[in-house]
Amino acid sequence: MKLLYTKGGRVAGIRIEGLTRQFGSVHAVEDISMEIADGDFLVLLGPSGCGKTTLLRMIAGLIEPTAGRVLLGDTDITYAPARDRDLAMVFQSYALYPHLTVERNIGFPLRAARLPKREIAERVREVAGQLELTALLGRRPKELSGGQRQRVALGRALVRKPQAFLMDEPLSNLDAKLRTATRTELSALHHRLRSTFVYVTHDQVEAMTMATRVALLNGGRLEQIGTPTEVYDNPASVFVAGFLGSPPMNLLSARISERAGRLRAAATDLEIPLWAGSDAARDVTVGLRPEHLRVVRDAEGSPAPADTAAPADTAAPADTAAPADTAAPADTAAPADSTARADSTAPAGSAERARLRGVVTGVENLGGEEVAWCEIGGQPVALRGPRPVGLSRGDAVTLTVDLDQVHLFDRTSGRRLAWQPTADKPSPQHTPSTQRLPQRPAAAAV
Amino acid sequence: MFVEAALTAATAAPTSPAGSGEDSATRPGLAHRLRGAAPPYLYLLPALACLVLWTYKPLVEAAQLSVYHWNLLPTSPKTYVGLANFQRVLQLPQLRGAALNTLWYVLGLLPFSIVLPTVIALVTRRLGERSRTAYRAMVFVPMLVAPVATAAVWRWLYDPSGLFNRLFGLGDHNWLREESTALPAVLAICAWQMLGFAVLVVSAGLSGISPDYAEAAEMDGASRWQILRWITLPLLRPTLLFMLLMTVLLSGQWTFPLIDVLTQGGPADSTTNVYYLLWEFGFRSMDSGLASAAGLVFFGCFGLLAAGLVKLADRFSFHDD
Ligand SMILES: Nc1ncnc2c1ncn2[C@@H]1O[C@H](COP(=O)(O)OP(=O)(O)OP(=O)(O)O)[C@@H](O)[C@H]1O
Ligand SMILES: [Mg+2]
Repeated sequence: MKLLYTKGGRVAGIRIEGLTRQFGSVHAVEDISMEIADGDFLVLLGPSGCGKTTLLRMIAGLIEPTAGRVLLGDTDITYAPARDRDLAMVFQSYALYPHLTVERNIGFPLRAARLPKREIAERVREVAGQLELTALLGRRPKELSGGQRQRVALGRALVRKPQAFLMDEPLSNLDAKLRTATRTELSALHHRLRSTFVYVTHDQVEAMTMATRVALLNGGRLEQIGTPTEVYDNPASVFVAGFLGSPPMNLLSARISERAGRLRAAATDLEIPLWAGSDAARDVTVGLRPEHLRVVRDAEGSPAPADTAAPADTAAPADTAAPADTAAPADTAAPADSTARADSTAPAGSAERARLRGVVTGVENLGGEEVAWCEIGGQPVALRGPRPVGLSRGDAVTLTVDLDQVHLFDRTSGRRLAWQPTADKPSPQHTPSTQRLPQRPAAAAV
Repeated sequence: MFVEAALTAATAAPTSPAGSGEDSATRPGLAHRLRGAAPPYLYLLPALACLVLWTYKPLVEAAQLSVYHWNLLPTSPKTYVGLANFQRVLQLPQLRGAALNTLWYVLGLLPFSIVLPTVIALVTRRLGERSRTAYRAMVFVPMLVAPVATAAVWRWLYDPSGLFNRLFGLGDHNWLREESTALPAVLAICAWQMLGFAVLVVSAGLSGISPDYAEAAEMDGASRWQILRWITLPLLRPTLLFMLLMTVLLSGQWTFPLIDVLTQGGPADSTTNVYYLLWEFGFRSMDSGLASAAGLVFFGCFGLLAAGLVKLADRFSFHDD
């Protein structure tokens, strides 16, 4: 077989430059560039219809891009036929040849490469042994269970030691338990082979657990690419923030304004003091992970009732005591410090703490954990914690969050905002606020 | 003392035994159940009635007739002759020739019902939507023309002074009156007629194969030719076997109207087939007993053939799911 692109048996990796694919007027994939290093387990993650399959099939060579390039090592393979790319693919449907036995299915790539029969049999047996398929070698695909079919498809990919493995939602036809087990096996396989995997899924758990890097796609565009930790801890956009996590990050509309030399983000029943500095007022989306929210408790340990000055359950906009529900930055009636006194057990520095007041609208039991759904100034907010979280429906609550766990996004562009202290001000380098908002520019997220 | 936990948190006693008497009380009556089950069968009724009336009843009557001697005249009596009619069928001098001709028709049609359609379907697979529709319409039209009309047009083409002789400069060869060319001439018309149908069937079979397989094979490094030989054709096998079955069983019926209009089996019985022979006995010689017996013999033979082919098809069919 002509393995055109092998370079000393190993390839440098896959590079994608400005890859675009249109179907008529539909932009399935739009101007995506990324580098997939050799040995990476890259997961293409995104909602249904975002272009994951299209991107993968362009890498595979099964469809041609409208624009852009695909490089394997230094070789441009954009228009090379799939059969010459030496990439193996596991299809969502597995695409096992229905008329061939398991043995012949697995051996098919070798047979196509015209290897001697004896060598084919040998390698098929080896792969079958690894995947515990030895007993099934004589069966046809329709005589196999879903999990066994998946393993045969994997075996067919493994048998010829390709440059990279491409997988399109290979686990989506398996039940939850098998999926978990197979996930672990795939990770182990990647670890053992150290080859490049490009793996498509819409399941964030698969992405977080298996990937060395995750690429998030939305509407054909790349939103962010990074390690699972990076994309989870520093989502580059509202989309990424709202896609990852279960429940995903709470996203609240708020407005940033300056008061007495300090910036703060505020909305109805929401008050987040930020750092010292000054900037023009702007509309933002505040992102708070459900697991980072904590209930402010009073001395007895029960949830602190929302103080009388700001009854949380009244969403009435006319309430002068509540923080302004209008985007207007000036709300003198309810200074944050007055409410801060209510929680005697909250950690020190409470004047500096974010503060959300609302009502519990429901509690979900996840087994080990509970999710409490609250309404804060008309916006839904989820709080997740070990069971029991000690809240029940109808409770008035005050929530808080550490300032270094507050994410800010521009309201219109949806991109992450990072704070860069201006040079003329004394640098707030050691205030907690700058540590939590990474100094790298928002553009670092592609 | 340990007590096993109850299945549910609520430990209330089971509710009143209301369920015991309910079973027989709510069971619907027989008439009611029949009425509920009837509709599907009612939908089938017209088709079943036609099948019985046009297929099974004649079959039974043919079996009855085959043991009588009768000239189809209502006034003349039927005389019971036992299996004598079957004996006569098997001893018929024309039977050998007709059976052989039938075989030639089948073999001659196979390239046009299987090989050529497969090639056409494969070649036109990648055509655009519009051109595909156009070519399909073109190859399918012959199927829609009434066989008698087709025969009339072709007779004119085959005429000693017709287009073929002029086109190929063959002088005044009489295609349908020469023993050597009459059968191929009839065959050619039949092939032309059914090619479109066969292409359509094979195209449908081809589009029923998931493109995933060819793509998977391509990813596996297989060449176009390997994909065709190892994936596409094997997966097309059920369709091709179906076309084989159709050709074997129906070529006699497809050629019948052409034979009847163009040659009446001649010259010197060189174009007759078993069905035409049967028809001649029944409705020319008015020998209903002989015709029925011949019909039953052919029915039995084709039945066996069909059973063999169906068995073959089952063995080679792969349901991709
Ligand atoms: N052959 C095609 N013709 C027209 N539009 C297409 C074609 N293939 C894909 N699309 C469109 O391109 C977009 C991306 O499709 P794609 O299959 O890549 O999505 P996906 O991310 O794989 O989704 P899923 O998770 O549901 O598989 C969709 O809007 C889809 O409708
Ligand atoms: Mg897809």
